[in-house]
Amino acid sequence: MTALPALLLAWLPFVHPLKLPPGTRLWMFLPLAACIAVVYRATRARQARELPRAAVRTFVHIVVGMCALAVAAYVLYEAVLRLTAG
Amino acid sequence: MLAWLLPGAGHFFLGQRGLGAVFFVAISFAYGTGLAIGGVKTSINPYLNRWLFLAELGAGGYTTAGFLLGNAVGGINARQTAQVVHKEGFDPAEQRRLEDHLAPYVSYYPESDVAQIYLAAAGLLNLLAILDALARAQTGGLPVFHHETAAGGAPAGGSDQ
Repeated sequence: MTALPALLLAWLPFVHPLKLPPGTRLWMFLPLAACIAVVYRATRARQARELPRAAVRTFVHIVVGMCALAVAAYVLYEAVLRLTAG
Repeated sequence: MLAWLLPGAGHFFLGQRGLGAVFFVAISFAYGTGLAIGGVKTSINPYLNRWLFLAELGAGGYTTAGFLLGNAVGGINARQTAQVVHKEGFDPAEQRRLEDHLAPYVSYYPESDVAQIYLAAAGLLNLLAILDALARAQTGGLPVFHHETAAGGAPAGGSDQ
């Protein structure tokens, strides 16, 4: 019972690295894409209230574009495997 | 200079407080997430990865504070940390002792990769914010690409207060 509080007290943010749960590495792409979309759109906005809709649109474009690139890379990978196997 | 020290401070100083808050939250979130995952000891270390450090320097205030903190904790400075990680300059017994000593402060794959991407992206995004603050200071509050938006028929505007 005393192990968890001791562990929490021993952990210092930014000094001791966090351990990501298995399988979360890919999902960490989403918050970063959101940050990039917001900052990029903020550099083009005249006022802050223009920002939310434009940032969401850019975020969707980034995610869809990255997914399309991933699918294209996978298809290329499979094609090269089949060509070299034959 | 203000925007380099603290993301969004340049816009805040120019009177665009809404945009300043947006830059501050977005860039600080990315930088903080990267630092929390990677830790200061190896993520902000010019002797380990100078290109990453250069990208991180885009957010200069955070990187300076992180570098000083990384030097202060663990009893081993940044140069010695890099020597331990690169396995150079110590005899095997000392190397093993220092590796054990540094283990709580060092992130490993895949966390280290995620941290590096977040930190580098945050630094480069802050460079973008600095350039935007400079452009807005010169044009009286217009964004960098105001010529394009003007051509598209967007209404003219100024401060978002």
